[in-house]
Amino acid sequence: MENPYIPMPMNVVKITTEVDTNDIKTFRLTFVSKEDEEKFKYLPGQFGELSIYGKGESPIGIASSPTDPGYVEFTVQRTGTFVGGMVTTALHDLEEGALIGLRGPLGNAWPIDFLAGKNVVVVGGGFAFTTLRSLINYMIHGENRKRFGDITVVYGARTPGLLLYKDEMAAWQKRKDLVMHVTVDRGDASWKGREGFVPTVCKEVAPSSKNAVTVICGPPIMIKFTLPVFFDLGFSRENILTSLEMRMKCGIGKCGRCNVGNKYVCKDGPVFSLAQLEQLPRDY
Amino acid sequence: MLKKIAIDQFSELVKALAERGPLYAPVKGKEGVVFQAIQNPADVTLDFYNTVLSPKSVFFPQSEDMIRYRITQGATEAQPVPQDSRPAVILGVRPCDVRSFEIMDRHFLGAGVIDPYWKSKRDNTTIIGYAFDVTAAADPADFYNTFGYGAADPEGSDVFMVRTDKTLLLKGMTDRGKKLLDSMGVLQAAGGPDEKVFEETVKKGKAVQTRSAKIDPQVIAKKLVSVFDNGEFWQKAAMACIACGACTYVCPTCYCFDISDETLFKEGSRKRFWDACTFTDFTLEASGHNPRPRIFQRYRQKVCHKYSYHVDKYGCISCVGCGRCTRVCPVNIDIFSIVDEANKL
Repeated sequence: MENPYIPMPMNVVKITTEVDTNDIKTFRLTFVSKEDEEKFKYLPGQFGELSIYGKGESPIGIASSPTDPGYVEFTVQRTGTFVGGMVTTALHDLEEGALIGLRGPLGNAWPIDFLAGKNVVVVGGGFAFTTLRSLINYMIHGENRKRFGDITVVYGARTPGLLLYKDEMAAWQKRKDLVMHVTVDRGDASWKGREGFVPTVCKEVAPSSKNAVTVICGPPIMIKFTLPVFFDLGFSRENILTSLEMRMKCGIGKCGRCNVGNKYVCKDGPVFSLAQLEQLPRDY
Repeated sequence: MLKKIAIDQFSELVKALAERGPLYAPVKGKEGVVFQAIQNPADVTLDFYNTVLSPKSVFFPQSEDMIRYRITQGATEAQPVPQDSRPAVILGVRPCDVRSFEIMDRHFLGAGVIDPYWKSKRDNTTIIGYAFDVTAAADPADFYNTFGYGAADPEGSDVFMVRTDKTLLLKGMTDRGKKLLDSMGVLQAAGGPDEKVFEETVKKGKAVQTRSAKIDPQVIAKKLVSVFDNGEFWQKAAMACIACGACTYVCPTCYCFDISDETLFKEGSRKRFWDACTFTDFTLEASGHNPRPRIFQRYRQKVCHKYSYHVDKYGCISCVGCGRCTRVCPVNIDIFSIVDEANKL
């Protein structure tokens, strides 16, 4: 019988330091077993449990897109040493060539069929851009692009050095089928781009709510001020999507830890619409 | 099919069961009677009201190794821990506790991914239920009548055991139970009068009264969510709570667990063990954020999980009214009164 608690062995083939504070790295993993690779079918928005024996497991969103076969990427922030961060610290200490474990794909995904045929406004803040990157790469890949209407991206970070996926962003900015608005709270001497908070930029960009869905991920404070902008633009609660985080252990709806009301974030989420969230008790 | 054995021959029955494979049965310990894997048949007792800890540990041990690993210079070697698939027996489970297994089945087996650890043990274990003493009053903490259970209901047991003055009557309820009884040479066939005693005990069990309230699962599920934001109600309910977690440890239907790696000198295991939603760090994230920092929020989670979320997810309340949480609580919190009060709001 299949045991869902046993991780697959994965090779760490590439480690990219994303930010100038050195605490966010992207890990590219390849499958040790061909069989595992064939079974690992995922969609943007899903997550995996990264495992290091002796340290534990950590649930992390998948940052790569299934349109890039052969590997999976996870962007991981090293968290504090005060209350946790055992696994993320151990991951950051790894070198290319290391062997780690992975369980997944877990959770639901960005609702691709729901997004198809609509204009998509992607709003991301800081480190919470990982599964949004997966979604964007999925939507702009080859034939997929035709399935979606206009794609608008608003992405902000506190400083230029904290922006993720810089090379990829530069490539996206050159595309004609994607409108990028990259902003930082405060620029530096070399920053020639936009300055301003994400909610303000959303207000300036003012994407139309007509046949449009917005996908928003970021720190709570950003979401708090961004939501009213989208209400004003006429976005319905069904058309505002986000991804929740809760402490998790099993990732498969068994350990009882990550519930908000009658939903397990790991199994019924992490992706929810604002309409769905408003049905749940305020327990997050 | 009814069989019997004299009470003074009970240890012979235990011996025969223990020879067959793993046997879990009530044993008197320092803190009261608990279910244990039996090494010495003389340890088993039938003299108890109910066990301090629930029988869930037989299928869902307090601590269970999932993977053993050895950390080396190169790659870490890891092996899943093989499951014990020998046919086991659990003896002496009270009727309300027997019903807890079905509730847990819905979670571990009935929805989504099947939990292999629960399944292997559950599939291989024969349950011998044990009627409460129907001539005595129920413990004041019990409230299993609320869920329609009687003190001598055989439902859910493979074999159901009734104790009379000098005899134990054992009835095979399922094919598995009947097969087990057939294989026990120490048992004698029981006759018509014994049948009558057995049936009467089941009937009398229906008349044993525990605390009881009219609680419709669908109604209470919605009610609790509607009073979720009533801070006054929840703060009063949990005012005395010290978040010790004892109620969740003794509960037959609390299934929340933690997964953690324990390593000593480069060797260790990834295990899962019981956790409690009343603990501070249950939902504490690595970032430092905790969605339920206050005790009343966590106690509310406990009550809502059992009486609301579980109903929404699996169609039944996750409580059997065994009364353990009320008996064990150091500050006298009683979930029955809280739910009953919420129901009347």
